[in-house]
Amino acid sequence: MTKRKKWGWFLLFTGPLLLIFLTVVIVPFIIGTFYSFFQWDGISANPMVFNGLENYKNLLEDERFLESAWLTVKFTVFSVITINVVGLSFALFVTSKLKIANTARTMFFMPYLIGGLILGYIWQFVFSDVLKMVGEWTGWGSIFFNWLNDPEFALYTLVFVFTWQMAGYVMIIYITGLQGIPKDIIEAAHIDGANKWQQLKSITFPLLMPAFTISLFLTLSMAFKIYDVNLSLTNGGPANATELFAMNIFNEIFGYGNYGYGQAKAIIFFLIVAGVALTQVYVTKKREVEM
Amino acid sequence: MKVGKKALFSLVFISLIMVLAACGGDSGGESSGDGEGGNGEKITIFQSKVEISDALEELAATYTEETGVEVEIVGTTGDDYFSQLQIKLNSEQGPSIFTLGNEREAQRLESYVHDMSDLEYTQNIAPNMGLMNGEELVGIPYGIEGFGLVYNKDLVNEEDITDYESFVSEMERLKGEDVNPISLSQEAFFLIGHPSNYPFALQDDYRTYIDNLSAGDTSMTETEEFQKFGEFMGAIKEHGVNPMDVNYDEQMGAFANGETAMVHQGNWSYGILQDYEVDFEVGMMPFPLMGNDKLAVGVGGNWAVNGTKSEEEIAAANDFLEWMHTSETGKQYVVEEFGFLPAMTNIDAGEVDPLSQDVLEASNSGETIPWAINYFPAGVIQNDFTPAAQEFFLNEDATGEDLIEGLDSAWDNATK
Repeated sequence: MTKRKKWGWFLLFTGPLLLIFLTVVIVPFIIGTFYSFFQWDGISANPMVFNGLENYKNLLEDERFLESAWLTVKFTVFSVITINVVGLSFALFVTSKLKIANTARTMFFMPYLIGGLILGYIWQFVFSDVLKMVGEWTGWGSIFFNWLNDPEFALYTLVFVFTWQMAGYVMIIYITGLQGIPKDIIEAAHIDGANKWQQLKSITFPLLMPAFTISLFLTLSMAFKIYDVNLSLTNGGPANATELFAMNIFNEIFGYGNYGYGQAKAIIFFLIVAGVALTQVYVTKKREVEM
Repeated sequence: MKVGKKALFSLVFISLIMVLAACGGDSGGESSGDGEGGNGEKITIFQSKVEISDALEELAATYTEETGVEVEIVGTTGDDYFSQLQIKLNSEQGPSIFTLGNEREAQRLESYVHDMSDLEYTQNIAPNMGLMNGEELVGIPYGIEGFGLVYNKDLVNEEDITDYESFVSEMERLKGEDVNPISLSQEAFFLIGHPSNYPFALQDDYRTYIDNLSAGDTSMTETEEFQKFGEFMGAIKEHGVNPMDVNYDEQMGAFANGETAMVHQGNWSYGILQDYEVDFEVGMMPFPLMGNDKLAVGVGGNWAVNGTKSEEEIAAANDFLEWMHTSETGKQYVVEEFGFLPAMTNIDAGEVDPLSQDVLEASNSGETIPWAINYFPAGVIQNDFTPAAQEFFLNEDATGEDLIEGLDSAWDNATK
C-alpha cells in the first residue's frame, strides 16, 4: 500500500515533467540522430538518401565548421572568465556595507531581464554609431571605431554584450553563496590576523565553491549555445568572422538546405557541450569543501 | 483504497495529457487537409511581403463578405520567410497560398506546387513574367520591380553616365562638389545581390552561363563582364562611402537630404523618399556596366497554390487569386494598396511614382535586362556572396579583382 502511495505521488509530480521532457527533448534528439545519417534537404516530400557516416566524415574537412568551432571555444573561454570575474566582483560589491548596495544590485541585474535579441540591436547601435561618434570627438579613431565591422573586434563585442547581460545573473548566485558563509568564521580569521585578501582567498573562495560550480556550468553551457545575441548583434558577420556553433548549424540547415548534414553538426555540438560541461562539474565538485 | 484512487487519478491525468498532446499534433494536419478547409470554405495565405500584410487582410475580409469563403492571413517576418514556410509545410500546417521567390525555390518545393497553366485568367500574365517550373505555370507574379542607379536629377544628368570612364569622371566631379557620389548599403541584396545581377544578366544566355559556372566549366575571373564589374565595384569602393557603415534607412536618408547623389536601389525605395518629402526630381538610370543601357526588371515574388491540399481547397485558393486579379476591388488593391506595378495585362497601373514610371516604361518597351539572381543557387547571396563582399569592403587593400575571386570561391562553395 505505502509503495503504491509513493508511486502515485511520484507519478503525479514527475509524470507531467517527464512527459514534456520526453516529447520536447528526448524524442527530437532521437529523431535528429536518425536524420543525421541521411542526405536530405529538409522538405518532407523530397527523398531522404541514406549515406551512413558520410555526414560525420565531411565534418572533419569542413573548414567553415572548424573555424566556427574554434571561434565558439574562444568566445566561451573569454566570456566565462569575464562573466564570472565581473559577476563575482558585483556580488562582493553589493554584499558590502555600502549605502548604494541595494540600488546597485537592481541595476546590475537589470540587463538580464532584457531579451538577447533586443539587447543585440541596442548594442549594435552603440557600437556602430555611438562608438564612432566618440572616436570622432576625441580623435582616438584607432580605439573608438565601429568594432562590428572589424573581423578581430567583432568577437569581443559579443563577449562584451554577453558579459553585460549575464554578469547580473551569476551575481545573484554568488550573492546567495556569499550570504551562506557564516560570519563567525570570517570574524575568527580576522582575529587570527588574516588581512582582507587572505580572508577572501582562504575562507570565502573555498566556501564559495558550490556557487562556482553552478555559475561556471551555467555560463559555460550558455556561452556554447549562444544564438540570439549573435544573430542580432553581428549576424555572423563581418565576413563570417563571428559565426558561432549554433548559427553555423542553423545556416547549414536553413541557409544551404542540408538538413541531414546540419543535424550531424548538431549531434557533435551536443557531445562537445555535454562533455565540456560535465567535465567542468566533475572538476569543480571535487574542490567543494564541507563545513 | 483512497490512495489507490489517487494513483489511478494521476495515471488518468497523465494519459489525458498524452491524448491531448497527440490530438494537438494530429489536428494540425487534418484541419488544413480534410477538416474545415475541405469543403472550400476556408483558405490560408502565408506570404512574404510584410508591407502588404494589412492591405491583404482588408482585401481578404472583403472577399469573405462577398463570397462567404473564410480567408486566414498568417503573419510573417519577412527575412526568414522561406525557412518558416519550410517549417510549416513540414509540420503539415502549410498554407493554401504561399509565396515563391523564384524558380529555384519552385524546384525545391516541386512536390508542393500546383500547375495553374489551365486557368483562364493566367493568360493575362505579361510575357515571360509567369513563374515556370518546366512547362508548368506555378506562380502568379506579384508585380514587376526594377532596380538601377537611383539618382538626384539636380546633381546628376543621366546622359553623362554611359560607361566606366564617364561613371568614374562623374563620381570625381561630384566628390569635388562635396557630394558623396554613390552609396550602397549593408543589407545582403543591396550590398552585392542586386549589383551582382549585371554581369550575369549581360551574358548571352544567363541560365546556361550559370549552369556552366556551377559545373566548373567557366569562372567569373575569366569572364570579361565580371572583370569589368570588378572595376566598377572597385571604383564605387574608392569614391563612395563604405557601405558597411550604412544601412538602408541611412542610405536613403542621405540621398533624400541631397548628401548622396546616386544610390543603387529599386523602385520600392520611393516609399521612403515620399516620407522625406524630397524637393528634387529623382530618376532611375541603368548601371553602365559595359555600356549597359537597360534597367534590370523582374518579379519580386509569386503567388503559388499548395498542390498537396484537398481538391476543394485548391479550387478555393485559385478562386481567390483569380478574384484578386480580375475583380475591380481586387485590381484596385493590387495597384493602390499593395503598390505593385501589375504584371498582368488586364490591370492598369494608373498613376505611379517617378521611379516606378521609369521601370514601367522600360518594361513596356522591352528594353530591360532580366533578374539573373532569380536563377542563382538558393541562398547564395546571403550565405556566400555577402561575406565575400563584406571582406572586399572592409579590407582596404582588396581590389575589384579580389572581389571577383572571392565571388568565384563563394560560388564554388555554394554549388559543391
